[in-house]
Amino acid sequence: MSAVVAELRRNRLSLSYVIVAVLLILLVVAGGFLSDRFLTWRNFGNLFQQLVVLGMVSLGQTFVVLLGGIDLAVGSLVSASTVFIAHFLEWRPDLLWLALPLALVAATAIGALNGLLTIVLRVHPLIVTLGMSSIIFGGTLMYNKEPGGSVPRSLADFSYAKLWGIPVTAIVLVAIFALAGLWLQRSRSGRSIYFVGGDREAARLNGLPVNRIVVMAYALSGLCAGLAAIFLTARTGVGDPRIGTALTLQSITPVVVGGTILAGGRGGVLGTLLGVLLVTMLNNLLNFLNVSSYYQWVIQGLIIIIAVSIHTTRRRQ
Amino acid sequence: MVTPVIELSRIEKEYPGVKPLDSVDFAVRPGEIHALLGENGAGKSTLIRVMGGAIRPNGGSMAYLGKPVSWQSPKQARRAGIHVIHQELALFPELSVAENILVDAQPRNGLGLISGRARHARAAEILSQLGVKISTHAKIDELPLADQQMVEIAKALVGEVRLLVLDEPTAVISGHEVDLLFDNMRRLRSEGVGIVYVSHRLEEIFEIADRVTILKDGQVAGTGPVGDLTRDEMITKMVGRRLEQIYPARRKATATGPEILKVSNLRAGHRVRDVSISVRPGEVVGIAGMVGSGRTEVAEVIFGARDLDGGTIEFEGKRLDRRMPREAIRNGLGFLTENRKDEGLFLGLPISANVMAPDLAGVTRRGLIDRRGEREIALEQIRNFAVAAPSPEVKVGNLSGGNQQKVLFGRWSRIARKLLILDEPTRGVDIGAKVEIYRIVRNLAEQGVGILMISSELPEIIGLSDRIFVMSQGHVAGEIDGASATEEAIMDLAVRSIDRREGAAARLEQVA
Repeated sequence: MSAVVAELRRNRLSLSYVIVAVLLILLVVAGGFLSDRFLTWRNFGNLFQQLVVLGMVSLGQTFVVLLGGIDLAVGSLVSASTVFIAHFLEWRPDLLWLALPLALVAATAIGALNGLLTIVLRVHPLIVTLGMSSIIFGGTLMYNKEPGGSVPRSLADFSYAKLWGIPVTAIVLVAIFALAGLWLQRSRSGRSIYFVGGDREAARLNGLPVNRIVVMAYALSGLCAGLAAIFLTARTGVGDPRIGTALTLQSITPVVVGGTILAGGRGGVLGTLLGVLLVTMLNNLLNFLNVSSYYQWVIQGLIIIIAVSIHTTRRRQ
Repeated sequence: MVTPVIELSRIEKEYPGVKPLDSVDFAVRPGEIHALLGENGAGKSTLIRVMGGAIRPNGGSMAYLGKPVSWQSPKQARRAGIHVIHQELALFPELSVAENILVDAQPRNGLGLISGRARHARAAEILSQLGVKISTHAKIDELPLADQQMVEIAKALVGEVRLLVLDEPTAVISGHEVDLLFDNMRRLRSEGVGIVYVSHRLEEIFEIADRVTILKDGQVAGTGPVGDLTRDEMITKMVGRRLEQIYPARRKATATGPEILKVSNLRAGHRVRDVSISVRPGEVVGIAGMVGSGRTEVAEVIFGARDLDGGTIEFEGKRLDRRMPREAIRNGLGFLTENRKDEGLFLGLPISANVMAPDLAGVTRRGLIDRRGEREIALEQIRNFAVAAPSPEVKVGNLSGGNQQKVLFGRWSRIARKLLILDEPTRGVDIGAKVEIYRIVRNLAEQGVGILMISSELPEIIGLSDRIFVMSQGHVAGEIDGASATEEAIMDLAVRSIDRREGAAARLEQVA
């Protein structure tokens, strides 16, 4: 066993990832036995389509959690962005090229504002983003209470497009994760997130532009929420001011299950991707087994606690 | 023969791969101050934890007040009268002094509710026993470290204390605070309390301890009355080899040439009132003074980590204009902070990332961090500074204090091409690592780097510095040549200047 661990270390594969990966494999095997519809190409196609939105939001959440913060505004931001996109496109379906970048810029700016407020006001990010979440939610409802708007055919098609049988959106998601991983590990700004998350004062004394990095991480979380909203609007065809509400807390699950610690400085996007897969597959399998959604919530709660406790015991050793 | 307070026989403790205690015999008599010496990793902390009930040994036996015992928990040991004061104090920073002192024994009133008045009365009584003036209403985080430590000792006096274990209590205090601590230790000794005293400072052992036990690699390397061993013999037993010389030879010629750093009439906050110092290339300049005299704050201002209210800082003849650490680093300054765990290292990250933190640009090729380059630099620094680590991927949190400090030298020696500021560079590291650090500091100076070193350990300041500035109450009280400096001269300067100022204040009051 220790030889295996040593080998993994050499390959710079964190044990956290291995734990989640093993859980994932167990789940797939169990799923194959328990349901004949689970291990099918068709089901996996659906599954990947389902996990794109959660994956995107969780990615953004990963950056902020790595920094030692948290972003509770992502759900509202996703909702607001879907409303914006759907209504803009209902008004001018021909301006798709403008609507999407505009939505992304706005979402990024709101994320950056979150980061800025934590610095300027010195208020805990939990509070800042909770407040911001409420503001965005209320603001969106003022404008539009019910789902509405529409999207042009081209955007809807994108959501269902497949390449060699794999949903294009899933390919895009994996590509974005890969890019994010590369950025975190190999760029100065990405690496700096670990420094600031590991120890903010030490980062400052090492000459790192701490404030800029904080704002950047929250801005990226906003950007990811904006991207998630594009995927979501493309699939549902409407803007819904309540659609993202549950996403806020859901986005934290894959991050911590994937081994990123809430205190910051440790973890990464691969863990989050595995976490997203685990959570989505589990719910998918439970659906096939006709387990009520109440139980699904309970099981998901157990998964969070068990997975994180495995990570922490391992770390203590 | 008196019955020892505690007697450990052939105590063993083993973890997979390591054996921190290997058949250790250790006994403390009542009314004795027993010093426990040893390098980091020699087994001192494990031994303390065994006595205090935090760790159960794998073998051997323990007798407390003549009766065999085997603690099931720290609480049981504490109830029995064993009180351990760790280096990291176990206080609640947001709670009052009284609440902290009586944390385990909150007095209750007739209704079974906690009585605030009784609590403060009891706490005040204990503090007055210790001869300290601390308000029982003050919050812990409003107190200086020395007072916090007294609160910790006061906690021990709530119940009956028979054995008091102090783990490096003087690492965070200095001067008269140490005297006060020692007075209290002597008083407890006279009341028959057995005291175990862990310290890296040999001078203190000679001043306070009656007997000494030296641990080396989990075994007892020597034990006996303090007077029976010389300082050098103690060091030899601790490191297992002879240290011909602790401090490297000073430069023969005094540094000349233009000053690399010139600080004039610096003012910052209430801690730094009027400080003028200078450093030349290749020179080791020491800053001595009590804790709280403004030494650390001066370093922080120079490095740009703290705002200044007045005065000037010239670096290579130019004013440092933008006041931030990033600017200082760009100019070739480095700052090895006093508190390496909170203000220096990223404990969860590998050595390589820690070494490169201030200089990511230096290993970035076409926008991406060159991992191989980073690894090579880290490896080179691991070799240069003899860091005991199998690879640059090892997390810094897993290294010993001395090795963590060497990683910091590995980091800053690359960055600080012109000036390196060291704040307590040998705090909490063992004697072997200390000697290596002294060599490193001298070598860096030989290469032309100016060194500004703050230290509470006077032998270290004297042994290493070319020139010494003595600070007191935010002022430079005087400058002494390193080669001819004595501990008395330094202390005298510090104390005399305090007296004078107090005298002046008193005269002013009389006039008013």
